[in-house]
Amino acid sequence: MDLVALINEQIISLELSAESKEAAIKIMADKLLESGFLSDRDKYVEAVLVREQKGSTGVGFEIAIPHGKSAGVKRSALAIAKLNEPIDWQSLDDRPVKMFFLIAVPQEQAGDEHLKILSSLSRKLIHEEFRNQLLAAKTPTEIIDIIKTI
Amino acid sequence: MLTKNATIRNQEGFHARPAQKFVELASKFTAHITVKKLDGAETDGKSILGLMTLELSKGSTISIQADGVDEEKAVDSLIQLVENKFGEE
Repeated sequence: MDLVALINEQIISLELSAESKEAAIKIMADKLLESGFLSDRDKYVEAVLVREQKGSTGVGFEIAIPHGKSAGVKRSALAIAKLNEPIDWQSLDDRPVKMFFLIAVPQEQAGDEHLKILSSLSRKLIHEEFRNQLLAAKTPTEIIDIIKTI
Repeated sequence: MLTKNATIRNQEGFHARPAQKFVELASKFTAHITVKKLDGAETDGKSILGLMTLELSKGSTISIQADGVDEEKAVDSLIQLVENKFGEE
């Protein structure tokens, strides 16, 4: 799974300010819409929030991977946001989230693609060096370069 | 130390939500828990991110290993969770 193919500089936010996880997800969904990944922003946001209600997507290490498969998605994407102030994500370890990865997958591709993106991303995030480099990155280009190399 | 095998039966595999349910249950036991794939990859059974790295789809076989005073109860409970599709379809 080539994660870089799912990312562009317009869907990376390095200084996101949001009061809640819902607000943060909506801001990044707007960016996905502007970049042409979504056909129906509200439909996609609803899928992500419904999924979030079934159980937090906080995976520990102050990271969350919210995701939604929806007919409102035109093509698969991975949006990335670093938060100015950590926000509560109801993670199992109770720690607030500093960085999240928002996955969008079209409804018809949902099954396997979804799992492959999650696994590929997890295999990178499990490395502390990768997480630290992302947290230290100053530009969207840097973020993409780190994902390419690790 | 005790090890038993289980097969992933839910349609979408061992993705984020099953991983969370697994970790919630695993964390109730003091035993150290390791989840292994047949190809040799293994991870801490109390780490959501770790479990997601295994890319377990429907039909995959895993072995669940527990080491500690409550290892028997831990392995049996976790095997049951996996075999029951994590309570979802």
